[in-house]
Amino acid sequence: MKQKQTLFIVEVAVFTALAFLLDLLSGFLFSRIWPQGGSVSIAMVPIFLMSYRWGIKGGMVTGLLLGLLQFVLGFSQIYHPIQGIVDYLVAFALVGLAGVFASQIKKGLQNSQKFKWIFLVFMGVLLGSALRYLAHVYSGVVFFGEFAPAGQPVVLYSFVYNGTYMLPSAIISGIVVILVMAAAPKRMVQ
Amino acid sequence: MMEKMIFGRYVPAESVIHRMDPRSKLLIVFLFVCVVFIANNFWTYTLLAIYTFGMVGFSTISPRFLYAGLKPVLWLVIFTLILHVFFTKEGELILDLGLIKIYEEGLRQGIFISLRFFLLILMTSLLTLTTTPIEITDGLENLLNPLKKIKFPVHELALMMSISLRFIPTLMQETDKIMKAQIARGVEFSSGPIKERVQAVVPLLIPLFISSFKRAEELAIAMEARGYRGGEGRTKYRQLSWTSRDTVMIIVLALMSVLLFLLRD
Repeated sequence: MKQKQTLFIVEVAVFTALAFLLDLLSGFLFSRIWPQGGSVSIAMVPIFLMSYRWGIKGGMVTGLLLGLLQFVLGFSQIYHPIQGIVDYLVAFALVGLAGVFASQIKKGLQNSQKFKWIFLVFMGVLLGSALRYLAHVYSGVVFFGEFAPAGQPVVLYSFVYNGTYMLPSAIISGIVVILVMAAAPKRMVQ
Repeated sequence: MMEKMIFGRYVPAESVIHRMDPRSKLLIVFLFVCVVFIANNFWTYTLLAIYTFGMVGFSTISPRFLYAGLKPVLWLVIFTLILHVFFTKEGELILDLGLIKIYEEGLRQGIFISLRFFLLILMTSLLTLTTTPIEITDGLENLLNPLKKIKFPVHELALMMSISLRFIPTLMQETDKIMKAQIARGVEFSSGPIKERVQAVVPLLIPLFISSFKRAEELAIAMEARGYRGGEGRTKYRQLSWTSRDTVMIIVLALMSVLLFLLRD
């Protein structure tokens, strides 16, 4: 049990670093379309992997750390106390809730029921991405509410703006997660 | 690029701000982010601007570095200004160009709100420009210590942060190595149609993930072998020291907040 604890700490930490790196790399690989804040990114992939391997806790801690890491390294943009907390702590931590499917995915992998685990992985990716999307939409409403003139449809702005990068990010992340898990199923069930 | 990443956006220098305790800097930035919203007229905004530019001056950071960090948000600041100038239709009409009508209140609101936006970004980037990521992590761990009482794993999180920071350059090297190996085999990452580029990413990502699993396992075994047992009774290599300088800076901010309250409408 004790040994698992150390492995948990280290693995989550290394995968957070990987998530941060993938975020930078996505910019280079998919050439950024959106100049600020969110861009199409596969930074969520390590969070999904950790949430399927260690459950909700693993995913949420990875997400929380990713937000903190971006803040500590100076890659965060904070314009409002609530926006800062929601965008950098809550949003990524929510992605970790994909881990609700963890035990069933492991069972599917062990019994090599290919269809079952791929379906569940995709459901998890959708759930995590949708929750993150809602968090960003909320913080966007706070942001626009504070900085845009009164009488603007701030909720609509936020839904559209955040949707432009969240949808492609979710789809690409889902594909990569499935490819990685198919390549190393043993690592996931260990 | 690789060595740079360990330090994030940190710019080394020997200024008053650089030598402050990370805890006081974190507290000041947190308070500043809240206090900014008190300002609502000319004098309060002037005071905020003087304070922020004073801090920037003390930090001796060259405008070049500041600009590099602010560039991605700058257009958003300008956008905020334009939005307000064109869409707020209150106060006296000061410019009438037929379709475009600029009102006094719109101009005032636009300038104030985009200034608030700008000052916020300036202050938060000042923190990461003058403090190394590892210092911020230590500072956060120390400030969050009281949360240990409610069983929040502060120590573990701080340890994870340090490991993450340490592994970013390592994983970068790894990525570089794998990329070069694939380029040697004729894979093209930065040209060709999108579909081919996405396909090229797969043989890069899978080895990267697998080697991350391996590295984590090795590090965990190494830690166990050296007797890592969790947070209880661990001593620290890097010690934080709170000096009178930090106390003075906090008092200055507190005084400014009081002044803001008195000057606001």
